[in-house]
Amino acid sequence: MSGDRPEDAAPEDGTHATPPQWEEPATVAEGAFEGPGENGAAAADHVQFQQEAPPTGTVRQRLHPLTPLLESFRFFIAAAAAAGINVFTTGNFLFAVYISVFAAVAGGIASLIAIQYRGFVIWGRELHIYAGVFTRSHRTVPLDRLQSVDLVRPIRARLFGLAQLNIEVAGGDGTDARLAYLKVDRALALRAELLAIAGRPVAPEAPAADEALPEGAEPAATGAALDEVVPTVTARRLAFASLLEALPVQVTALAVIGSAFAISGAIFGFGNVVTTVWVGFFAPALLGYLQSTISTVNKFLRNCRFRLSRDGGNLLVERGLTDTSHGTVPVDRVTAVSFDEPVLWRSRGWRRVQVWTAAVAQQGGSGTSESTMLLPVGGAELVARVAVEAVPELDVASTLDPEAVARPPRRARWRMPLRWKRTGAALQERAFVVRGGLLVNTYTAVPYARIQAVDVVQGRVQRMQGLATVRAMTAGNLWHDAVAAHRDVREAVAMAAELRERADAAAALERPRLS
Amino acid sequence: MSPRATPIWDLWPAGLRWQPMSRQLRTVWVLRSLLNLFILAVLASVPLTIWLGWEGPLWALGGYVVIAGLRAFTVVRVVASWGYAEREEDFLVRHGLLTRRLNIVPYGRIQLIDLSAGPIERMFGLTTVKVRTAALGSTVEVPGLDPHVAAALRDRLAVRAAEVREGL
Repeated sequence: MSGDRPEDAAPEDGTHATPPQWEEPATVAEGAFEGPGENGAAAADHVQFQQEAPPTGTVRQRLHPLTPLLESFRFFIAAAAAAGINVFTTGNFLFAVYISVFAAVAGGIASLIAIQYRGFVIWGRELHIYAGVFTRSHRTVPLDRLQSVDLVRPIRARLFGLAQLNIEVAGGDGTDARLAYLKVDRALALRAELLAIAGRPVAPEAPAADEALPEGAEPAATGAALDEVVPTVTARRLAFASLLEALPVQVTALAVIGSAFAISGAIFGFGNVVTTVWVGFFAPALLGYLQSTISTVNKFLRNCRFRLSRDGGNLLVERGLTDTSHGTVPVDRVTAVSFDEPVLWRSRGWRRVQVWTAAVAQQGGSGTSESTMLLPVGGAELVARVAVEAVPELDVASTLDPEAVARPPRRARWRMPLRWKRTGAALQERAFVVRGGLLVNTYTAVPYARIQAVDVVQGRVQRMQGLATVRAMTAGNLWHDAVAAHRDVREAVAMAAELRERADAAAALERPRLS
Repeated sequence: MSPRATPIWDLWPAGLRWQPMSRQLRTVWVLRSLLNLFILAVLASVPLTIWLGWEGPLWALGGYVVIAGLRAFTVVRVVASWGYAEREEDFLVRHGLLTRRLNIVPYGRIQLIDLSAGPIERMFGLTTVKVRTAALGSTVEVPGLDPHVAAALRDRLAVRAAEVREGL
């Protein structure tokens, strides 16, 4: 695929004036590309002064022709639904035909136009992505700062054998760059190429190579080439685990809504008016309930057929039932690891393992940082194995030991009567461990070297009780800092002092990790 | 003073000299709160006038004077609670009257230091120093310093940050 790529012409600094591509105006015409927002002739004059952008004539690589159609699939679904409803209600086939023809023609023309303006160029150590018909956008991705390239395959793309690349850059501005859609093998090649330019080549046996295989073929050979950490989590187990996790919430929600309905009905009678008012009041609650149910199902679909393997310094995550995705987690960028234990998993000793990385968090934008799942469900032994892969210095046994994680003082109990028993914090040998949560009890471990800043906060009531809250912040995470709530004041300040000291000591031991 | 009333920052970094904010900060914040309250009083005087007739504005004025006095007193104490200190390895900022906060930023983790001054701040010769780390929630702000103090602080922080760089 690198045949048409201007890689050999990677410009040395300052010699942009005559990159070899510039002498191929024929290719420009052939490629049917003109510069975004300017015509070729005008561009020729000032292209020499552009330090960063590739010259206008550079042949852009195109995305797959089906891209615009796939991106506007909602429009087509809406059109189809409109046609279907129309046929169903009026029996007027002609109108449905009109709608379909109109949608097909309009969509076809629009996508023909749109595809002309989309493309990408690898120019030197930068990736340039072009998009937009009316509002042209040109985005530069510095490959030096590349964090990871994830291969994602939504179901609509899978139908056509296509894939999408999500590109993460350190210190990104919140929106991630993506290339959608490409043929799967081309996407894999491009991914390898981008990673190679960034100086972190993947294993020669591209770990994702099995993606090109049809669904049923289980790629045992490829898996063996890498260190398999978590063998594929079976759908049955995950389904059972998801059910157990969702059960308390579902039962509570249904009980609350049902009893509220019954009580209000018993008092006011199940008259029309009351029911209407009731629906008006509780429809939002029902919506929320539905949403949480759907998100449970989505989570299940996302994490189905989960597999984790290790490839040098990266962990490779493969998952997804309908939309498959391939992610990499650079182990040296993990800032925190958390172990979730939903209430009904406790008797089975199951846990879920998630990690937080600076890169993922920065991609999330305005504070909605997302974690990376490393194990959707697993027993103690598997949990320990995964955690050690992600944070090698972590002592998992003592991290997850409820005795080792000290509870807040007893006088804080009335502030969290149910949670108090399952809350705690501990300064362990290599990591700061906090614990919290009632329905889903979570242990979060932050290695000392990853702690950025420390806050001590004391609220009004806390002051009267002589309590304070300590918060250790890690890169990128906004909502998932390690928070040790309601510690004794003296313990809290001692903890903060100790955290600072240990963080410095730990950071001094390792070499700085910038970018 | 009972031990429970002791602010958290007096418990731990012992023997530290907290630097106060600029004197002008008190003026600016008091004026700002008075202005905000005045707008509220004007808004409140409309329904009061409709309700009580000509006595309405007088009530609004009276309420304003009382509340503004209390508010000014609080704001003065709030400003007094702000302070910053530079230790060997980290930069500390404390503030808060009811909810007390102590932010600790190690020099090695500082990513960005901002100096900013709005139009009103400039009028009174104030500059805000903002220190950011890679953690999203941890922007530490020192709201009102004399420009030359702020610039000096920034330079010191930048030098220290360059010396001990620890990354993410």
